[in-house]
Amino acid sequence: MARLVRTEAVVEGRVEQRYTVVEDDITPEYDLDRPPGVVGRPATRVTARSRVTGAATFTTDVRLPGMLEARVLRSPHANARVAALDLDAARAVEGVRCVLGPADASTLGETPALSDHPEFAGAAVAAVAADSGAAAEAALAALAPVFEELGFVTDLDSALARQEFIEEPSESERGDVAAALAAAEVVIESEFDAPAQMHNALESHCAVADWRADGLTVWTSTQSIYQAREQLATMFELDPERVRVICQFMGGGFGAKFGLGAEGVLATELSRRSRRPVRLVFSRRDENRAAGYRTPARISFSIGADAAGRLQAIEASAVMGLGTGGWAYPILEPAKALYACPNVHAMVLPVKQNLGPAAAFRAPGVMEGTWALEQALDEVAERVGLDPLELRRRNHADTDPGTGRPYTSKRLLESYDRAAELAGWDSRESLRGQGRVRRGMGCASQYWWGGGGPPAYAEVRIGAAARPVVTVGLQDLGTGVQTACAIVAAERLGVAVDEISVRAGDTALAGHGPFSGGSMTLASIAPAVRSAGHHVRTQLLDLAAEMFEISATDLTLEEGEIRSVDGALRHPITEVTSKLGNAWVTGSGSRAPNPEGMAVNTFGCQIATVAVDTATGVVRVERVVAVHDVGRIVNPMGARSQVVGGILQGLGFALMEERVIDPTTGTMVNAGLEDYKIPTLADLPEIVCEFVGQADPHLGLGIKGLGEPPVIPTAAAIGNAIAHAVGVRLRAAPYTPRRMLEALA
Amino acid sequence: MNVHLTINGGSHTLDVPAQLSLAELLRDGLALPGTKVACGEGTCGSCTVLVDDRPVLACLTLAAACDGAKVRTIEGGSELLDRLQAAFTGHDAFQCGFCTPGQLMSALALLERSPHPSHDEIVDTMSGNLCRCGAYEGIAAAVAQVARVNG
Repeated sequence: MARLVRTEAVVEGRVEQRYTVVEDDITPEYDLDRPPGVVGRPATRVTARSRVTGAATFTTDVRLPGMLEARVLRSPHANARVAALDLDAARAVEGVRCVLGPADASTLGETPALSDHPEFAGAAVAAVAADSGAAAEAALAALAPVFEELGFVTDLDSALARQEFIEEPSESERGDVAAALAAAEVVIESEFDAPAQMHNALESHCAVADWRADGLTVWTSTQSIYQAREQLATMFELDPERVRVICQFMGGGFGAKFGLGAEGVLATELSRRSRRPVRLVFSRRDENRAAGYRTPARISFSIGADAAGRLQAIEASAVMGLGTGGWAYPILEPAKALYACPNVHAMVLPVKQNLGPAAAFRAPGVMEGTWALEQALDEVAERVGLDPLELRRRNHADTDPGTGRPYTSKRLLESYDRAAELAGWDSRESLRGQGRVRRGMGCASQYWWGGGGPPAYAEVRIGAAARPVVTVGLQDLGTGVQTACAIVAAERLGVAVDEISVRAGDTALAGHGPFSGGSMTLASIAPAVRSAGHHVRTQLLDLAAEMFEISATDLTLEEGEIRSVDGALRHPITEVTSKLGNAWVTGSGSRAPNPEGMAVNTFGCQIATVAVDTATGVVRVERVVAVHDVGRIVNPMGARSQVVGGILQGLGFALMEERVIDPTTGTMVNAGLEDYKIPTLADLPEIVCEFVGQADPHLGLGIKGLGEPPVIPTAAAIGNAIAHAVGVRLRAAPYTPRRMLEALA
Repeated sequence: MNVHLTINGGSHTLDVPAQLSLAELLRDGLALPGTKVACGEGTCGSCTVLVDDRPVLACLTLAAACDGAKVRTIEGGSELLDRLQAAFTGHDAFQCGFCTPGQLMSALALLERSPHPSHDEIVDTMSGNLCRCGAYEGIAAAVAQVARVNG
């Protein structure tokens, strides 16, 4: 029976009310007392063969007969008006099939895909499609744009002074912060400057659109194929059932690729007008000028505590530089929700600047907010003379501090204990040394959501060869969610993980699946997959019961066999499935809502060890211990990879990644990967990774998300480790040699 | 202009524009999209292919400059490449997989040139290939494992 239920979902800190169709679920829960079987055992990726052979078709690899190449004209100025643009000259270039000016795309999308008032360097003005890339580039030159330059604002101070906001400034308060600060025995004032970190997924934003008389197909590198489909249908007034969005393989996204981007809008409009398939791939420099970044911010705290280190009040404010778009990511959520502080006032000022629009970047807001808060916490610990981990234990929140709701599960205290043990925290004072190179150890806590939720649907089918196919309406950023789906299905069907194919990344294949974000994908889809697998299992057992003249309740599926519970009967599954001929046994499943009135969060603790060369200012991260509480681990191999990858992005934020804007022109000077540094193999520290969480008893399959948690505490732990090593705290990241030497001087 | 190339063992005589990059020729001209272009400026290593057994950045190499050369790509295959691919799989040495063909070709060139590289040699060589997912731990372990099996 399908039911319509109303449910609440927390998506990256924003609460959404949703209606969702849920089918009755007869799937038995995992037996918590049983040791992990196929779920919880390391598995290599089901997509591995495609990815290591170069056979995987990414959007940028799609080639269609008659396909045109598109190029975009972008403003080189921080703020300008287009005074002249020769569209006719561009149309006259040989091989050019379609030219779009600002007026041609002004109605497409929430913000126009093309504009005659480009408000940042890199903003799109015109787009062309031609038989070849060379012809398209010749057309861009023929456009001969004339720009009238206007004044611009790019730095945070000037932007705040201008008082233009992307969203209205917001405030929230619990308790009485002013009174509590006045009464506090210890008060620290602390300010931090977070840099703009660029996503730099190695596959840039790209789309191939094929507009035909009978429907539209768009291949695009997106974290949400269904959102992209909905946007296309609305924007181009099409029946959603005649719009197909495909993202079978995706070269990373990290938050910058939700739904349909300008690349999808423009490729589709060019295809609609030219009646030819059109491919648009952003260059690396366009990617970094126009396709998003982690919000730079100035984050300030006044924190009051009693002499025992118990937090009494947090006054927090953040000026966030959103450029020309994005939204106010939950940057002060850690200040509000990480510790049991009775009085918290938070104010967020999301300013507008003449820069490209911000985008969500892996734990948006929370990562940079944690980076600041967790360093301020160490300053409190120092003032009251307390071990930093002990300070955190003393301020542990037993229930959600904002709402008072109980957590579905929380093992943060265990994370502290285990991380301390693995890192050798108790002997950290002996690390420091006296010479040129000083060592230090620092910790930081992690707080995020990640419980997942509906809507998410899955289908499982099995045919004569007993090689199950799992179909899910999601896209795989590269996290390994398809492999996890195969593992979950394998447990119900009693077959090896590598016997299972997973089909994903195509709206024509399956019912709605979750977007890839908020650490919600697996926690959303896995219960639906298991339920679908269970439906297939019960049907197979019914068939076997008839064949072998035994009760279905006495049968089980294990290791590719149908077995009786007493062990007397054992037959290969194929003995039953081979009778199917060309028929399938199919099952479907849906995701039920999470329990109401409870807080669903992930937690963790990381401890970093750094070496600071006081002569050169070079900081080297030597070791990171990561202990996270994210519920049941489906695939330990994939989970570790997520943790290592998150730590490396946090390390990049801490040590080397920063968008640099030329103050005289308002343009980005390091839009290429030569100048914008991201971590390489040479920067890899030793990483120790463990999970303390057991299955969350209140969530479907006990799974919480892991995409975001590992990136959240790394940079804070590194900052605290540097302060421990050299006694100086750097207020701005990244901790470059120049900043380190200036701080030491 | 006419160039003669051996690509993955097959002989090709092609008329290429003078400014065409080797990456464009492979991806668009010869339907070998395994070679990826991520930066287009020779900084990320994604487009690494072997030209006369040396790793080169195909996005910065002119096709016309490869006249007479022997080009190998991820689609080419070899016994050593097979072993590297299996080791990359076994060590989870990729997440999204976009940089993986370039990583594998760099590793292949390294192990052909130096069958028993030291850890530092692996780190130095493979640091030229960026991976934004951060799969470096698996990459280094996979290359080291194949090197060990080289005996």
